[in-house]
Amino acid sequence: MTDTTTARSSTAHLTAFSLSATLRRVPVQLWVAYGLTLVCLLVLGLSTDNGFSPDRLLRILSNAVPLGIVAIAQTIVIINRGLDLSVGPIMNTAGILTALLSAAPGATLATTVPIVLLVGAAIGLVNGLMLAFTKIPPLLGTLATATVIQGIYSLITRGQPKGRVPAELRELADGRIAGSPFSGSLVIWIVLLVIVGLILSRSVAGRRFQAVGANPRASWLSGVPVRSHTIVAYIASGVLAAIAGILLIAYSGAPSLTAADSYALNSVVAAVIGGAALAGGTGSMVGTFAGVAVLAFLTTVLNSFNISSPVQLIINGAVLIAMLFVNSRIAGKRSR
Amino acid sequence: MSNFATQPFAAPERRALGFLSTTALRSIVHARFLWAVPVVVIVIAAVVLPSFRSPISVNSLLATLAPIVIIAIGQAIVVMYGGIDLSVGAVAGLGTVVLALGPVVPGGAGGALVFSVIAGLVVGVLNGLGVLAGINPLLMTFAMAGVVQGTALLLQSNPESAAPMALIDVVGTSIGPVPVLAIVAVLLLFAAWFWLSQSRTGRVVQAAGFDGRIAGRLGFPIRRTTIAVYGLSGALSALGGLAIVARTYTADALVGASSVIDSIATVLVAGIVITGGVGSLLSILPAAVIIAVVGQIITLTGTDAYYQTIFKGVLLVAAMGIYQLAGRKIRMPWRLSKPAIDRPGQDKRARTEKPAVAQKDADR
Repeated sequence: MTDTTTARSSTAHLTAFSLSATLRRVPVQLWVAYGLTLVCLLVLGLSTDNGFSPDRLLRILSNAVPLGIVAIAQTIVIINRGLDLSVGPIMNTAGILTALLSAAPGATLATTVPIVLLVGAAIGLVNGLMLAFTKIPPLLGTLATATVIQGIYSLITRGQPKGRVPAELRELADGRIAGSPFSGSLVIWIVLLVIVGLILSRSVAGRRFQAVGANPRASWLSGVPVRSHTIVAYIASGVLAAIAGILLIAYSGAPSLTAADSYALNSVVAAVIGGAALAGGTGSMVGTFAGVAVLAFLTTVLNSFNISSPVQLIINGAVLIAMLFVNSRIAGKRSR
Repeated sequence: MSNFATQPFAAPERRALGFLSTTALRSIVHARFLWAVPVVVIVIAAVVLPSFRSPISVNSLLATLAPIVIIAIGQAIVVMYGGIDLSVGAVAGLGTVVLALGPVVPGGAGGALVFSVIAGLVVGVLNGLGVLAGINPLLMTFAMAGVVQGTALLLQSNPESAAPMALIDVVGTSIGPVPVLAIVAVLLLFAAWFWLSQSRTGRVVQAAGFDGRIAGRLGFPIRRTTIAVYGLSGALSALGGLAIVARTYTADALVGASSVIDSIATVLVAGIVITGGVGSLLSILPAAVIIAVVGQIITLTGTDAYYQTIFKGVLLVAAMGIYQLAGRKIRMPWRLSKPAIDRPGQDKRARTEKPAVAQKDADR
């Protein structure tokens, strides 16, 4: 009824109406996420001189690219009612493997990267098959995969990963594209965010994917293959984690057995700050971007105040608990 | 509660062990195959490896077993309640670090021991409060693990702290080849099992774990129980940290790193259903023995310690897979075969676990 009345009135009225309607449709979690981002941004900017310089902010975001890409992976899995704790070990595997393959004579990025991504996809496939065809809870299943992967790469590398990080890869992380302030890795992250975001929110496949997460039983009854969506979610997660792992060694310059261990927790934190609910079905790339930005800004602020890493660990945990609390309150209110 | 459960089954076993409920007795009978596995593994190891039979090896095996059992008890209680505690490793680390504060806190080493358990209890109660506030237990304890580990690292940097050698020597003593702590762990296990399967509060834990919604509607004290369950897990984890110190002689915030996967693997191998309410705490003993013995064999044969990590991961999945397969044929959860209330098709599992829908498809 309201639609027809508005259509008859002036166009200015129409735009104002649809704008407010659009704003009202934005989930509360997104407001909270972007509010938090703004607070962190203000603290970050005011803590030093010239804190708001775009170059500095872009550099901070560009350092957070590995986390950003894993957060995409984690969000996809969380939308599917899952949880992927194996992303950290997959990232480590990708880093170790990239360095190892690059050391071989005649190896280029064009030959190594596809192999690494395939390995990531294979681990994701194992996760997906295991979780789709058994009743194993995702947390435990991926925890088991994570442990096994850790054991395998520790065994193969004997605790000392070898190899070299190709210069082109370093350039991807540190260099700037044609004089612009954007680094190659930042562009990769933004492009991935946009692609995954558009697929999830605009395409039929993406909407179906969200439906499976929101209510698997109803989706199955309406003829959506639930299992294949779970498998696809974990494969996507594996591939994205492998990309993140490659970009992580592009920054650090050396493969490591433990460098990515904290990424499992942090990616979940980013997704949850961005409004993804573990009950499945909700979560968006727009929100996850805010979650990653909050974490990146917060870490930079804490570092600039010389706060020791144990205290940072405490603050990260406390922020996660606070956000979980806020989100559970919002969700509780909505369901009533 | 206990009377009500035993009445319909005037089984002969009631005469022999009349003080135990039917569910407790049945769960013991159900676990008979599980008990056979460690026995077989130990016999084979003892025959093949002469070093496995030495008193030193037995002592070290039991010393490894103690922290696994103690921490797994706490984890099992939480899992029986339908939750999970991922902060056990961090709390064990915190426990050891607080213990090392002996020179600083009032009461010396004895006081530090009390403070260490209290610290674990406080973390557990905070976990319980978070879960009550509606936060997913998995994420709540995950986040709490970060906070606790940070706190432990901070306390660890206290220059005056030192591992309390006198105290460790007392708790680390052995009677023959048997460490005192291993005896304590087994006694704790029996106490916890008796509490969970026979006491009123324990039955509330089981009922709420089986179906929290119905338990809440029946007016069970859910809030109090939640805090008690997570608090117990925290206190037991801190105690487990003490047991680790008695073996390694170092107080370190990261000492419990493997405790999370150890405790969860133990609980799952013990056949305690991850969605809660079904299982027996007594089965923790054979499950923990399997993990400890395999670790011991890997050490004794000089095999790479990384194989132990891989083994635990595989064991975790295998345990869940085997129980699932067994459950499909013989309907292991005995209560599920004859539900007290006729529930419409979608039961607890279907709501909490995603593959359940697909599973029904496969069952047809």
